[in-house]
Amino acid sequence: MQTTVVGSYPKIPDPPAPGRWRTSVEKRQRGEISAADLRRIEDDVTAEVLREQADAGIDVVTDGQIRWEDGLTYFARGLDGFTINGLQRYFDTNVYYRQPVVTGEVTWQAPISVADFTFAAAHSERPVKPVVTGPLTLAAMSRDDHGGGLERVVMALARALNDELRALAAAGAPMIQVDEPALLIHRDALPLFRRAMDVLWEGVGTRRALYTYFGHVEGLYPAMLDLPVDVIGLDFVAGRARNWDVLRQAKFTKELGLGVLDARNTRLETPEQVAEACRRAMELVPAAALHVGPSAGLEFLPRRVARRKLDALVAGVRLAKEGAA
Amino acid sequence: MMAAAFPTTTVGSLPKPPYLLEARRKVSRRQLDPAELRRLERQATEEWIRLQEEIGLDILVDGEMYRGDMVAFFADQMDGFEIAGLVRSYGNRYYPKPAVIGPVGRRGPLTVDWFRFAQGLTARPVKGMLTGPYTIAEWSFNEYYPTRRELVLELARAVHDEAADLERAGARYIQIDEPAIHTRPEEDFELAVEAMEIVTRGLNAYTVTHVCYGDVPRIYPAMLRLAVRQIDLALKNDDYALLETFRSPRFTKDIGLGVVDAHSHRAESADEVADGIRRTLEVIPAEQIYVSPDCGLKTRTADETVAKLRAMVEGTARMRRELAS
Repeated sequence: MQTTVVGSYPKIPDPPAPGRWRTSVEKRQRGEISAADLRRIEDDVTAEVLREQADAGIDVVTDGQIRWEDGLTYFARGLDGFTINGLQRYFDTNVYYRQPVVTGEVTWQAPISVADFTFAAAHSERPVKPVVTGPLTLAAMSRDDHGGGLERVVMALARALNDELRALAAAGAPMIQVDEPALLIHRDALPLFRRAMDVLWEGVGTRRALYTYFGHVEGLYPAMLDLPVDVIGLDFVAGRARNWDVLRQAKFTKELGLGVLDARNTRLETPEQVAEACRRAMELVPAAALHVGPSAGLEFLPRRVARRKLDALVAGVRLAKEGAA
Repeated sequence: MMAAAFPTTTVGSLPKPPYLLEARRKVSRRQLDPAELRRLERQATEEWIRLQEEIGLDILVDGEMYRGDMVAFFADQMDGFEIAGLVRSYGNRYYPKPAVIGPVGRRGPLTVDWFRFAQGLTARPVKGMLTGPYTIAEWSFNEYYPTRRELVLELARAVHDEAADLERAGARYIQIDEPAIHTRPEEDFELAVEAMEIVTRGLNAYTVTHVCYGDVPRIYPAMLRLAVRQIDLALKNDDYALLETFRSPRFTKDIGLGVVDAHSHRAESADEVADGIRRTLEVIPAEQIYVSPDCGLKTRTADETVAKLRAMVEGTARMRRELAS
């Protein structure tokens, strides 16, 4: 049983500590500092959040996505075939992303996230898991002005992101996490999604994790157990925690990303509540196949609360392990 | 209600002048007397009232010089809330996100003094500006109420009391902002409708709700059931794509037509504004059209704001002439 996170981490500390990243972006926009200056600040903040996760005792960490403006544009800006449009609401959150617009053939030109992964891996005491937004989510949340239709964009993105995953594997990533929250609002796209996953993961020799969040997988389960991945990450908070019931419909045959800390509410879980969720999950999958973490990225919370949640997570998993031993 | 066609107005917030931003920073560091900040807020409010008159807007706003965030402003003054910390909304924009930690309620009027002050400065009508119950609930962490429904309805009663107080103070226009209303349409739209009915019940003032971004087509035509006279929407942001949605069934309320993008630096031309109104006339009759920016302008500079508003007023004037000829 391991502890992990789903991806994002709050970029700025709680006041009165200065939000250095935030003010640096302003300075960059006004031309007062260079792109390299801003990158150095982002380096510092990345190292800081890697340290914070390690201090909390998280086993497998991420770079906190400090350099991501959002999960869509971070990849869309690096691919050919996209321009970036105005703000759109990100799922049912109060977070907004700039909507990518497909204006041509979507192709991969050069690594997008590899330098960021390499930096994080070199500055982390713990294994770092790179996160890539998946082809269905990228396609579904973009606007298609090229006129190819969803299926064509999804498959083009699967091919393009396959190059990205291969590059991350070549850079030494032990595991790659692909995020596909949009699968939960495009349940009827599962056959297309299956084909996209085959293309996406082809020849990628890392451990393969697929994460969904902001809802349950009723209607996708157990069919999704056929997907070519090793770990499936699920949200056990959103959708009235329905995933607990859904998983009873068939034996869970993958490793399980157990999203039990509510990443979108400041109400703190107790270690005992986390341990109880772990025990419940151990009735479904062996303890060794559990990756216990928050329900989604932690950037929906203030930094202080995110950190406290990680403390509860680590303490709770420790309790569960003691109970199981 | 107004003599001229296409009454012009704004969505509520206007940029704070640099001296006010500086004063707010100083007060947060306890380097300035809050009474001095109040004085500067009144000064800035008066400057914006004069400027709106000079630009030629028909229905004015106080500009919200004294508000930080549109939810925190209300939460700070009400029972049951605390500020949990800063959470990112997009780019490097953060907002202080409240957490509900007990029963919510109004201790007394929240906006009436500022409304009286602003209305006392001008013969033109000043809009009363409120944040709606669904949005206050959705943009707060809920640590206390077992369901969102209980929280939303309790807040609706409080916002109603505030609207009634504004009306007693002389407000002829009352706007209830609900930018979060389409966050979970399938799950929650009926709740939002029920809440708005509570808010506007028994009011004689002309009522407006502002909804922005997100998937408006998904709540159409259901949103026409909201208990308000006007729905104010962002049209320019997506190049009037919403007009296709409003062709059928037809838009039965007045529309607050967003004709300038609130999140771009570029000032639209008067031609662009006139063209947008002209396109709208193919779908919505002239007497139902009010003209406004897409959203609050507080993130623009004062120069950008004035340039956008002048273009808006000039473009509207052209369309009035076109309509009359």
